[in-house]
Amino acid sequence: MLDFFTIFSKGGIVLWCFQGAGVTESFTGPVNALIRSVILQERSGNNSFTHEALSLKYKLDNEFELIFVVGFQKILTLTYVDKFIDDVQLHFRDRYKNELEQKGALKLLNNSFDFGADFKRLLREAEDSSKIRSPAPMRSFKESEKSQKTVKSMIETKGGDKGKEPSGKKNKNTKKEAPAAEPVKVDQGKASSSGQNMVENGNQGLTADQIMQKKRDNFFRKRMAGPTEKPSKSPKPQKPKEKQMRVWDMGGTSTKNLDYSEANGNGSSNGDEQNQETQIDLGMQPSSMKGDLLSVDYESSEDEEIEEEEDEGVVVSETSKTSSKKGGGFGGMFGMLKGLVGSKSLSQEDMEPVLEKMRDHLIAKNVAAEIASQLCDSVAKKLEGKVMGTFTTVASTVKQALQDSLVQILQPKRRVDILRDVMEAQSQRRPFVITFCGVNGVGKSTNLAKISYWLIENGFTVLIAACDTFRAGAVEQLRTHQRRLNSLHPPEKHGGRPVVQLYEKGYGKDAAGIAMEAIAYARNQAFDVVLVDTAGRMQDNAPLMTALAKLIAVNVPDLVLFVGEALVGNEAVDQLVKFNQALADHSMSDKPRLIDGIVLTKFDTIDDKVGAAISMTYITGQPIVFVGTGQTYNDLRSLNARAVVSALMKA
Amino acid sequence: MEADSTGTTMAEKADAEMAENPFEPYIESFRQQLEDQDPVFLIGVIVALAVVVITCVFLKYFLTSKTVQSAVLLVGLCDSGKTLLFSRLLSGKFKRTQTSITDSSAPYKAKNDKGSIWTLIDLPGHDSLRHQYLEKFKSAARAIVFVVDSAIFQKEVRDVAEFLYVLLTDAVISRNSPALLVACNKQDITMAKSAKLIQQQLEKELNTLRVTRSAALSSQDGSVGGSLYLGKKGKDFEFSQLPIKVEFLECSVRGTKGEEGEADIESLEKSLAKL
Repeated sequence: MLDFFTIFSKGGIVLWCFQGAGVTESFTGPVNALIRSVILQERSGNNSFTHEALSLKYKLDNEFELIFVVGFQKILTLTYVDKFIDDVQLHFRDRYKNELEQKGALKLLNNSFDFGADFKRLLREAEDSSKIRSPAPMRSFKESEKSQKTVKSMIETKGGDKGKEPSGKKNKNTKKEAPAAEPVKVDQGKASSSGQNMVENGNQGLTADQIMQKKRDNFFRKRMAGPTEKPSKSPKPQKPKEKQMRVWDMGGTSTKNLDYSEANGNGSSNGDEQNQETQIDLGMQPSSMKGDLLSVDYESSEDEEIEEEEDEGVVVSETSKTSSKKGGGFGGMFGMLKGLVGSKSLSQEDMEPVLEKMRDHLIAKNVAAEIASQLCDSVAKKLEGKVMGTFTTVASTVKQALQDSLVQILQPKRRVDILRDVMEAQSQRRPFVITFCGVNGVGKSTNLAKISYWLIENGFTVLIAACDTFRAGAVEQLRTHQRRLNSLHPPEKHGGRPVVQLYEKGYGKDAAGIAMEAIAYARNQAFDVVLVDTAGRMQDNAPLMTALAKLIAVNVPDLVLFVGEALVGNEAVDQLVKFNQALADHSMSDKPRLIDGIVLTKFDTIDDKVGAAISMTYITGQPIVFVGTGQTYNDLRSLNARAVVSALMKA
Repeated sequence: MEADSTGTTMAEKADAEMAENPFEPYIESFRQQLEDQDPVFLIGVIVALAVVVITCVFLKYFLTSKTVQSAVLLVGLCDSGKTLLFSRLLSGKFKRTQTSITDSSAPYKAKNDKGSIWTLIDLPGHDSLRHQYLEKFKSAARAIVFVVDSAIFQKEVRDVAEFLYVLLTDAVISRNSPALLVACNKQDITMAKSAKLIQQQLEKELNTLRVTRSAALSSQDGSVGGSLYLGKKGKDFEFSQLPIKVEFLECSVRGTKGEEGEADIESLEKSLAKL
């Protein structure tokens, strides 16, 4: 059933492979896709992956640096695969322990791993064990226990929950004046086919009228008696108890104190007090805004105090944890020393406390919560079973691994060189189109102006397309930028034509149409770059997302940049996922244009809480192309992965 | 006024004496103690000190000799054939390979008379990994073999050029000046470009790249990466203008006969022998 099974080293050399009968395609492609999208993007928390028609499951062996991958058709549901991979891994390790323990890569090249016979045996065992566990066939009615029982024994005055449903249905049926016989038969059929463990409906033996009478009696009985009448006869299911009157601990004994209906004088004096209170409330507001505003420091110091208390709370709990560990006695201490010196392999329990701390640390640095937990899971998977060197603690190994994964995530997965691409488009005599999209207020227009300044400095001519036809003042804002840029780089110095031009059609028009016309105009006038500014929109605003997707699908820009601010927290995940989804859903072609790059704005407002960069690159897998660090034209930077990661890992 | 000035000079002298004085009693007591001790003991102390100093010197010598450049790095884009080349150079065998995610290293015996042994290191080519592995190994590089996929070179020319640019402008590499061998791999495929053509294309591409990269945005902490200007200004870029020795050669790691046959890496082995 398996399509293929490979064992290869992390350095890339395949040690052993197996290809299922009748499978002709090479598995190199799917396995490479697995490596690139899962392992390299740190999504290894979940150990399965689908690629076209194949479903791939994998296991990392970190002690000997091996990867085990099995592939089978997606439509098959094979239950034995997980256990099978584990078995194969253990078997392979045990058999080739000596060869694998040699240092260097020569061991992989010089030894041949004849694993075929063992593999076939393990596969046969796994398939057999899965066949044994197939579901048992259903018993027929005659064989069931119910046919042995008498009807009388199954009558209960107060049937269980499951029992009530068929009776309810039956009542409805009688109300509809269906013949009484049929519902009984239907019910019997239903009851018998609904399994042996259900509570039988005790009302089956009675007619409809009798059932209604019985129910009426029950109802009156409940009403008259206290609320604590327990059902007498139902043995099996846990019937929910009758409602008991709630007793409040702090409640008063009598309701007399709450009765204000006596003297009107009392009431009015209360009313006066109330009026005074509201006056005082109202009085607060007008006078508090007079004079200088309260400075931000006051509030932030309150926040700091709260944070400190929380930190103390955390520290206290941690010290209590460590003290409890020390309380474990000498054995614990020697164990710690042993762990420090000898070669110890990491297990999940060892890493758990460190990973907890790292996860909290990342979340404190503004990484989205689910991204932080996925990252920590992935690092745990990567380190499980790894043998630590001497004098390295678990904490340092985990920190180093996390740091490496963060750098890896932030490194772009493709070449990012906009100037070179613009030159390429220039040589092909077409304009290079960049589209900016994002939610409201993130800095699209400001950063558009900065990018056009940068492009002008490098000698390109820019056409700005004002496709924000909704927000008041959007077109005027872009016109002001255009004027300023033209005054900074006057046309006389650049061959007589203005370096920046604005293409706008006012407000209220269709953005996609304006963009198309702008691109055609740029092609005619030989502009080098077209920067398309769109309106900000919330990610769950479906009509606006459709409009954006249409703009991008129709105009096919060279670069779709998502503008996100660095202040965003968990919201970044939602924004990016929904934007990508909208772009994918509303595109007609099978290769939809998704977000190609990210512009991270307002970077100067965060000190070292740079987690938003990680969240955004992790979710999309696309690089951060620009970083905006201020509001003047010079405040445009590129991302330095090492600096961001060191700021993130700093305590 | 003169009295004041003499007064200040007196104060200064007194200060100078005060500065020396704290040390004097210590030196005196030390000298006395030394003279009091047994000469044998003194000799023992001196010998111990000498041994420590010599060990330090030796350790330093040995440690630095380990980081002396004795590594040959195999770098290149993804899927250019580095891992297979690694396997062929070391054992001559053909092995199926997947995308590497860590480096592999092994000692390699060069086919020359001296029988010098290099450490052959195969670095992953994937974009997100290549930078950090290069950082790790670049200081130990004696030679860098840059593997290029000649068959799809035309599509990848900009990526190849960018990686080559990063290599050439790296500060550590330009200081150590290792030999750079550009191995144009996959010559067994009919559409493969020749080494000469690849060299010309790369020169043209690097010519444009050195202008765009020097105009690239600086990083957010102010550092501008790779501010070295390649070649000579004003003239078109050529590899001969570089201080690093760059050599282009052709090879086919898979070999013409596929899995069973020998790999066609004669020229590469010869160049490696010349190192």
